[in-house]
Amino acid sequence: MATQAASDDEYITLESSDKFIFVIHRDVATLSGTIKNMLSSGHFEESRSNFITLRDIKAVILEKVCRYWYYKAKHLNSVTEIPHFEIEPEYALETLMAADFLDT
Amino acid sequence: MSRRSRANGNTFVNNVRGPTSALTSFLNERGIRRANPAPAPAAEAPASPSPDSPDIEQSEEGTAGTSTVTTTTVSERTVRLTRGRRAAVSASTSRSESIDIDGVSDDDDEDEKDGVNLVQLPVSTRPVRSTRSAAASSSNAAASKAKGKAVETESKKRPRKKGDPDSSDDDYVQENAGYPSRSNFSHKRRLPRATNKIEFCSRCRARFTVKAGTTPVVDEDDGGLLCPTCAGDAAPVTPSQPKAKPIKRARRKAQKAEIECQVPSLQDLCISKIASCIEDVEGFGDISSISMDKICKIICRNRSLDTDTLQLFLDARLTDLTLYDCTNITANGLQNIAQFSPLLRSLKLKLCGRINNEVLDFYSEHLTELTSLSLFGPILILEPSYIKFFESVGERLERFELKSSTRFSLKAVTALCESCPNLTHLRLSDCNLMDDNWLAPISNLTQLKSLRIRNPEPDKVTTEAVVKLIQAVGSGLEELELKGIPSLEDPVLLDAIRPCCVRLERLNLMGCEDFTTEGVESLFKGWSLNRGLSYINLEGCVMLKDEAFTAAINHSCDTLERLSIKCMDELTKDALMALNKCENLSILDASWCRAMDDEVMEGLVKVAPKLSKVTVWGDHRLTECCPTRQGLKIVGREGDYIDLRFM
Repeated sequence: MATQAASDDEYITLESSDKFIFVIHRDVATLSGTIKNMLSSGHFEESRSNFITLRDIKAVILEKVCRYWYYKAKHLNSVTEIPHFEIEPEYALETLMAADFLDT
Repeated sequence: MSRRSRANGNTFVNNVRGPTSALTSFLNERGIRRANPAPAPAAEAPASPSPDSPDIEQSEEGTAGTSTVTTTTVSERTVRLTRGRRAAVSASTSRSESIDIDGVSDDDDEDEKDGVNLVQLPVSTRPVRSTRSAAASSSNAAASKAKGKAVETESKKRPRKKGDPDSSDDDYVQENAGYPSRSNFSHKRRLPRATNKIEFCSRCRARFTVKAGTTPVVDEDDGGLLCPTCAGDAAPVTPSQPKAKPIKRARRKAQKAEIECQVPSLQDLCISKIASCIEDVEGFGDISSISMDKICKIICRNRSLDTDTLQLFLDARLTDLTLYDCTNITANGLQNIAQFSPLLRSLKLKLCGRINNEVLDFYSEHLTELTSLSLFGPILILEPSYIKFFESVGERLERFELKSSTRFSLKAVTALCESCPNLTHLRLSDCNLMDDNWLAPISNLTQLKSLRIRNPEPDKVTTEAVVKLIQAVGSGLEELELKGIPSLEDPVLLDAIRPCCVRLERLNLMGCEDFTTEGVESLFKGWSLNRGLSYINLEGCVMLKDEAFTAAINHSCDTLERLSIKCMDELTKDALMALNKCENLSILDASWCRAMDDEVMEGLVKVAPKLSKVTVWGDHRLTECCPTRQGLKIVGREGDYIDLRFM
């Protein structure tokens, strides 16, 4: 039971507009200002259930954003040169809008 | 010395010299002081210093003469109360000082009645000895200098008393200057007898309103009062004091990490990708125009709109274009707009400092469908280009908006009004050549529906000219904005707006301070020609009293959707209760209307189902427990910005 609670706290679940589920580490998700605010205030349902529905973001885009969070978390304090994060041109605009919403 | 004068019953002034926060200076300038009758818990309040204790006088100077840094111990509560309000205090170079901020301190009697009015506010100050004698009154200068010396010698012998509750430095204590205006202003005097009280919850430290005639729930543990939330919540809240510091540190660490982080943000990455693939526009796929506008906003917010990224928004079939930040677009890039999108009907360029005569001339020739042009900050365009543009666009032009131009002149206005008789929307703001002579040609624009005149140079636009203008064009106006023209007087309301503006829906008189209560009252009272306004902005008309406000509400209560009464601090609660008639209200700005409280809010929430946003900066009577509902955004509530975890 205790382990269950711990793992609940450690990971959060994001749902895209087309019902894809992304389970990602809490520390990584909180790199997004929006998600951080959702989880930290304690007033929102999301902070209790650790489940966030992102109605305006498609799965392909959300995957890209999640990849970016992990990429950022990995290279956050690195002193060496970091590899380039590749964005496909066809997704660039939608990713930009998602990134703006998620404050990333 | 000044402490003594305060004890003698003189009017309180902020007894501190030296650096103060921008907010403090602003409030002082306006004569606004903290008028919070809520007593802080007596046990925690610092003992007010004995007025004539010589010991304290002497120890005050303390280490001021040396460079040693002393941070006086102020009570826990003080620190908590003032957290966030204080400018960043660098512990190594500054000293925290306690000063007294009285509640409503017009009368000394009130101070005593209130029990605790003294809230200590640490203010960071740097010892600047040289300014002291200059600011002290001349008669006292010699004496204070002499005393200063005596104190200095004293301080060398005696180390500073640790934990001295009164450590206010004599250097920064100022003679009573008094407030030029509003010094007799007192909310307390204007309040009804049986009034609601604001108390502090002993458990969560939140403020809450105790309604007159009711008694709040008492905490079983320590006998303090409980707010409704805590009273309903049986589970005891563990005191979070020990937690506070680690959280603070963690947050600071996180901020630091953010700064050190070299990983570019995803937005930047996307924008650079877009910029690099800009030639291959097809690659971005089909995106609706709403999304394009949204993307444009995002790119402008990142300050990345330049000649390259601009290409993204240009399309041969485009009819409406708004660019929110043209700072980085070269004149050539701006010219491309007309080249790539010749069918534009509406063009809005914000921050377009680089647009020049050639570009505007090019627009005159190539944008043959243009009906609406907005230019914000076109500093390089000269008079002849404007005239040429107006002549070529002629009767097509329906909307013209100009902001922050120092070159737009009387000749250009005349050309605009002669060449473009079909103009319906005219907005001229921050044009510093504007004067009365401009208004005569404008009064020939009989098609005008919306007229906005903002921030002309002071005293250049007079009451008489505005009256004539509105009498000429007022009958068609749906929107009238006379913003930031403080020289306007009542005749504008009574001789122009009242008889002429029968179709008016939106009225903005922001910052017109010379309108009197009687003037505004007689504008709205029995104004049967007009069927009611949907938008009223009286922001910054600080002298308007209840009668003006009530008359406006009574006239427009059925139609009013947006209302701003910011800084109308003379309003009392009785008047604000009139808001309960506005059933269609959706947006309200009641910042700095300090009579606003939970009860007014409760009535408003009940009666106005469309209410979506209320701005309440500086309304300290509104507590954390003020009534709200889903979908209603309350912005600026004091309690939301004081982190309760640290209280």
